[in-house]
Amino acid sequence: MPFCGVDIGSRSIKIVLFDGSGVISSVVRNSGAAPAENARKAFHEALDSTGIRMEEIANVVATGYGRNYFKEADSVSSEILCHAKGIAHLFPSACTVLDIGGQDSKMIRLGADGRASNFVMNDRCAAGTGKFIEMVSMMLDIPLDEMGELTAGSSEVCEISSMCAVFAESEIIGLTQSGTPVDVILRGVFRSVAKRTLAMSGKVGLVPEVVFTGGVAKNAGVVRAIEKETGLSLMVPEEPQITGALGAAVIARAKA
Amino acid sequence: MLAAGAIPVCLCGATNSTIPAAEAILPSNLCPLIKSSFGYIVSDSCSFFRNADLIVAETTCDGKKKMYELIAEKKPVHILELTQKVDEKEAFDHWLSEVRKLKRRLEETYAREITDDDLRSAIRIMNEERALLKEAFELGKEDPPVMTGLELSEIRYRLAGEAGHLEMLREFIKDGRKRKEEGRYAAPAGSPRILLTGCPTGQGTTKLIEVIEECGGVVVAQETCSGLKPLDLMVEEEGDPLEAIAKKYFRLPCSCMTPNRGRTELLERLASEYRADAVIDLVWQACHTFNVESYLIERYVRETLSMPYMKIETDYSDSDRERLKVRIQTLMEML
Repeated sequence: MPFCGVDIGSRSIKIVLFDGSGVISSVVRNSGAAPAENARKAFHEALDSTGIRMEEIANVVATGYGRNYFKEADSVSSEILCHAKGIAHLFPSACTVLDIGGQDSKMIRLGADGRASNFVMNDRCAAGTGKFIEMVSMMLDIPLDEMGELTAGSSEVCEISSMCAVFAESEIIGLTQSGTPVDVILRGVFRSVAKRTLAMSGKVGLVPEVVFTGGVAKNAGVVRAIEKETGLSLMVPEEPQITGALGAAVIARAKA
Repeated sequence: MLAAGAIPVCLCGATNSTIPAAEAILPSNLCPLIKSSFGYIVSDSCSFFRNADLIVAETTCDGKKKMYELIAEKKPVHILELTQKVDEKEAFDHWLSEVRKLKRRLEETYAREITDDDLRSAIRIMNEERALLKEAFELGKEDPPVMTGLELSEIRYRLAGEAGHLEMLREFIKDGRKRKEEGRYAAPAGSPRILLTGCPTGQGTTKLIEVIEECGGVVVAQETCSGLKPLDLMVEEEGDPLEAIAKKYFRLPCSCMTPNRGRTELLERLASEYRADAVIDLVWQACHTFNVESYLIERYVRETLSMPYMKIETDYSDSDRERLKVRIQTLMEML
């Protein structure tokens, strides 16, 4: 019997249908201005693509910012616990989860049976999250999915010292005006994301093996920057965006 | 102040709406409690301030201390210099002389003498208020809880020693007992019991308590200045009354004191008496003493009390409510 996890995040909606051991189907859509409605559409898309009927689903767990507004859910769970469960399912040997999403970054320590034993989350500022990288993408007119490739090859980097995303923007404007190459700026941006992320590790501890997940993990430039700063090699799931929804589905199986 | 025949009113600001007015003068990265209080004053929207004869203030934090210099341009201000080395006799002696000076200032302001008998009767009234507040907060010991943390956070009153407030507290306690007899509980048995510590909350700044309770927890006790912290010690009714008053406030385990061992002692006691499942530490943005002390508190709670701990740094605005919910809900599910 299939289980379903729905992760309604700040920037995107993720739906996972899970048969108890593997992913049957997954859908990723933008959250947009009506996330609850868009989540419902994405949910039905996932069902239609597999031919599974709603009545056949044993249990639905919702997570993410929109979790309480998704009426089809049987229950809700915190996205931190869902990411922990999803990663523990994919990587049984993982000890630490680093999740960078649209507006949050979180570091989660995994305990026994894939439960989160401790975690830390960024405060109110979105610096060092997906939103920040998205803003840089728009400023420099470089599509998100080309950023990683653009920064490969060289290691020349510049300093982006602003902690605030808005001030970092003016810092980047200054750099472009003075003729700093775009790839150097991007490496500077990714390194500042890595440093901000590592600032969280004091509380939780970056114990290997470390899995990097969330939408930002799709950016190879950020992965490289964090690996360089930590000296650790990171494991990245094949589809890092859906691990929260997968975890919700794993929890749905446990609750059914 | 009561002994001088005056009405003591607490001027701690507890609303976000007066902060923009304050930020026209004060820096934005200052504690919201200072900004909110000052905002009331500069926007002339506080009738208590407008009608006050004297503003009595203390040196529990640098931000407040300098803010008082700004309000001294509008009203007479009397500053009590609170010394902060809890273990030193000289520190206490200086604090006692500060309390004596306040008595003289009040005598001058109201052109009357304050006798020891006046002081003793004021002490009795305030001890009665403290005892009633404590009894009301002790409803939080019930399991399942008969009162939510939000209900308990609303029983304080701006005016000190006011007869109507004492009557309201008696009614509140009666209501709590009745709920228990009738089995009308405020939350289901097994709801996570939270001990809140750190900065004070006020009516209008209960965001964190609301979020905790929306996520299924119950704030059973507050180790804060708006909760049980000032009620732990009564003012002694024997001996020199001013010395008794000075002693009580000097022993209050505020984060401005150093070292502040009293706070961990109180936390340990409250955690066991109120059977708390986790400790949440509230730090208002830019409250440096509580913010730094939270490192020691976290270590103490996790290592000595072996309890889950979470620190929340926030301000009076609602902008981070959803983000707070993510963290609090995770903690609740982890318990």
